[in-house]
Amino acid sequence: MSITRRSFIKGSAVAAGALGLSLTGLDFKGWAAKAQESEVKVKPSLCNTCSSHCGMWIHVKNDRPWKVTGHEDNMRSQGKLCARAHAGLYWIYDSDRIKQPLKRVGEEEFESISWEQAISEIAEKLNDILEESGPEAAAYGHNPRETGVFYGNRLMHALGISTVCTHNASCNTARTLGFNHTMGGVPHADLSNSNYVVLIGRNLGGGIRTSELIEFTEGVKEGAKVVCVDPRQNDSAKIADEWIPIRPGTDLALVLAMCQVIVEEDLYDKEFIDNYTLDFDKFAETLPQYTPEWAAEITDIEADKIRSLARELAENKPNCLVHPSWKGAFGSNYENSTETARAVAYINALLGNVNQPGGLFFSYNSPEIGSLDTLDPEEPQTPRTDGVGVEGEFPLATSHGLPHVIAEKAAEGIVKSIFIRHHNPVRNFPDYEHMVAGYKNLDLLVVFETHMSETAILADYILPECSFAEREEVVEARGGADRGSVSIRTEAVPKVHPETKSFDEIIVLLAEELGIEEYFDFTLDEVNKARLEPLDISLAELKEKGSISMELPEPSNEVEFSTDSGKFEFYSEDFARYGFSGIAGWKEPAVGYKTANNEFKVIHGKQAYHSQTVSANIPQLAQITKDYDSNRIWMNRAKAEELGINDGDKIKLTSPIATKEVKVKVTERVHPDTLYMPAGYGNKTPYYETAQKIDSLNPNDLTPYQTESIAGHAMMQEVIVKAEKA
Amino acid sequence: MSKQVDRRNFIKYSALAGVSAFATLATACNDGEAEETGSEVQDDFPVDEKMGILMDNSLCVECQACRVACQNENELPVEQALISFKSKEVGSYPDVKYHFSRHSCMHCEDAVCKDGCPVDALSKTEQGFTTLDFESCIGCGMCEQSCPYGVPSIFEEKMYKCDACQHLVTVGESPACVSTCAANAIKYGTYDDLVKAAQQRVETLQERYPEASLYGLEEQDGLSLLLILKTEASKLELI
Repeated sequence: MSITRRSFIKGSAVAAGALGLSLTGLDFKGWAAKAQESEVKVKPSLCNTCSSHCGMWIHVKNDRPWKVTGHEDNMRSQGKLCARAHAGLYWIYDSDRIKQPLKRVGEEEFESISWEQAISEIAEKLNDILEESGPEAAAYGHNPRETGVFYGNRLMHALGISTVCTHNASCNTARTLGFNHTMGGVPHADLSNSNYVVLIGRNLGGGIRTSELIEFTEGVKEGAKVVCVDPRQNDSAKIADEWIPIRPGTDLALVLAMCQVIVEEDLYDKEFIDNYTLDFDKFAETLPQYTPEWAAEITDIEADKIRSLARELAENKPNCLVHPSWKGAFGSNYENSTETARAVAYINALLGNVNQPGGLFFSYNSPEIGSLDTLDPEEPQTPRTDGVGVEGEFPLATSHGLPHVIAEKAAEGIVKSIFIRHHNPVRNFPDYEHMVAGYKNLDLLVVFETHMSETAILADYILPECSFAEREEVVEARGGADRGSVSIRTEAVPKVHPETKSFDEIIVLLAEELGIEEYFDFTLDEVNKARLEPLDISLAELKEKGSISMELPEPSNEVEFSTDSGKFEFYSEDFARYGFSGIAGWKEPAVGYKTANNEFKVIHGKQAYHSQTVSANIPQLAQITKDYDSNRIWMNRAKAEELGINDGDKIKLTSPIATKEVKVKVTERVHPDTLYMPAGYGNKTPYYETAQKIDSLNPNDLTPYQTESIAGHAMMQEVIVKAEKA
Repeated sequence: MSKQVDRRNFIKYSALAGVSAFATLATACNDGEAEETGSEVQDDFPVDEKMGILMDNSLCVECQACRVACQNENELPVEQALISFKSKEVGSYPDVKYHFSRHSCMHCEDAVCKDGCPVDALSKTEQGFTTLDFESCIGCGMCEQSCPYGVPSIFEEKMYKCDACQHLVTVGESPACVSTCAANAIKYGTYDDLVKAAQQRVETLQERYPEASLYGLEEQDGLSLLLILKTEASKLELI
């Protein structure tokens, strides 16, 4: 049977109906009456609507998932859940799920095939590619969580494939790289005990990780002063003491000027600098040029404000912090993002807040997980095809890889095969056409998915996974201040579609067909038992409880960095070796920092009730968007008046790669040079009917394909658009 | 009593809310024996005292977790949200304040909706909440007209509003909005305890926000949904 979008949807509807009919006569009242007789079963799981994997209980009434509640003993949820977690239950019985293996037989046209055929054809094609072009021609991309890492990376390594990518080059690789090369890692921000918190672009109330929102609001309640620096008044700013609007892409200038004030006025922690850092003098020498007056011209923040912010922050040292952030302002947005991350690390070092209450912590522990005693494939020495670690390309980029560069290599025919799991690079990296051109040109694109994402619709083979609530996965460990937890996904509800499989099952089938089964001679239960072995917890107990928390040693105040020198490094030998600046200094955004009258920078950021573009198809979340008309782009009121644009008007945006129309929200809560577009809209897949009803602009349609020079990330916000009334 | 309330409540929404609710989580139900593997009841609140919900808007980020938790708990149609937010921008860039507050049934002591209901579908509970007998409701909209806060919503000939999760509070548990809130913004407890906590919090807030106030002590002879506001209620147009 050939499947197109039309027949797919029609087929689903029929299948859903059949499913209903086989029950209690498709009579809702009858079902409800029956439901009142039944008790509620509660099964543990881990949320899948974002990648935080919050622990949850799925309450099942009459074998129907009814609601979820937060798991108390999971470090990520701590008994609480966000809107996305509640609404994500929808996915289990969503009629749009992929129910059988699909093979592409034409332009976005698929045929349903058996698992035997899918596995044997994929193995044969992959073997041909590896034989003809070597392992450099193949790659794997995913959202890196335990199961995908354990099974996916293992399969790739067994095949000699080194190019393993994650979504992070569109998320936080600049932040991570900058912190790795100064502090030796990314610390945890002790928000609940802090006296003074500066958030630069980090929107704890919108890009929610439940545990962080709990800590943040505890800190606010305890009286922490919170300052939000962001071109738009974000969700954290709603409960902060102050919002400081800044020109997009100029955070680096602000942080350097704050460092200048703190050093010039002798407000820094000298003892910390003397004992735990290297090359402070080299950094201090660069500072005189970065006066608040200099930064004011770039950032559009008054010099006196910069001075008072720096002084207030330093007065609260060491129980204060500038948040290390995530994607926010400098995760992967601008040409200067890696340098911004290093500068944010610098200012925290000046405050001497490392391993201090209310500062940044490295000494948080995680429960110690065991590993299976089995034949491990060696990590391949093949050079990575995305240029990571390759001299002349991206020698310093992190092992998270560069999926947008992979698309280019695919378009050039250098990469021929990609496996993608729980990841949607085609939609979620800038320049849709660039991504499509690359992924379409592959000889073998295999997508492991539950839904027909933008990447899935380009696949040669789609292998249907069962939903998060129907599968067991690899045990996860999470750390915290003096507690940690181990957790597992369990089969909370029986498989809805019998022809779906869990990722581990699919990988083992592929390994057998590829002739590398010796690397997979164990069951998932054996993997998990080995992981739990050092913790004296039985797998049966964990499956029953879902998450188990345990006390961990109190964090220590000892300061030790995981850098080569063991100290905080102001100067990076690695950066200097590859021709970058040893000391982080001012660097302009790629498109400059100023805009002309009818020009704007486009920024984006999460709403608390959507998760990238994957959640727009969930009816309860889409309804929130409708109720608040919140898929509009924000424009500053004074600027709108200048351009003759009214609230609710359609405006036309022209970027170097596209012209798009979008409805506007006119507001006082955004910098005049800035348009803020809420993330999570603009699905291109024709299979998401609910999402189509709230369709809007996706900034990736305006931003060209670009790579930042150090981390290689996708420079998600390096674009200037011209705006006019449509 | 508790289980009856639970079941009646469950039926009242799910049966009548019809297709859209069902479509949200449409699924199979089989004839297998259901077993009780209880979720532990974490809370142990009084069931026969005056209770309240305290909403601290100075901590809320409008994440909408309460709204969706409530929808699932009460098996509401996708289009019906018993919790929404009213917001307002005050001032102009860059000195702009964003004021907002939870908007849902205030559980007035003097519940004018109850007095005007032609079929006596509304009543006050011992705990102080305003509840609706869903089966008796004819969706006439009298309550919608009389509510000073504009809360009741008529959908498919029935009225929808928060009933403080009667099936939970009558067995000593917290309403769903309270138990899911990750922003430390919603508390459930005895009315007297909440008033004390709220007054303390407002005093602290006034050090930074001189206009901070507690809304609900006097309005409509007292509200069982108390609001901590960073500004005066008049700026939010609560009445």
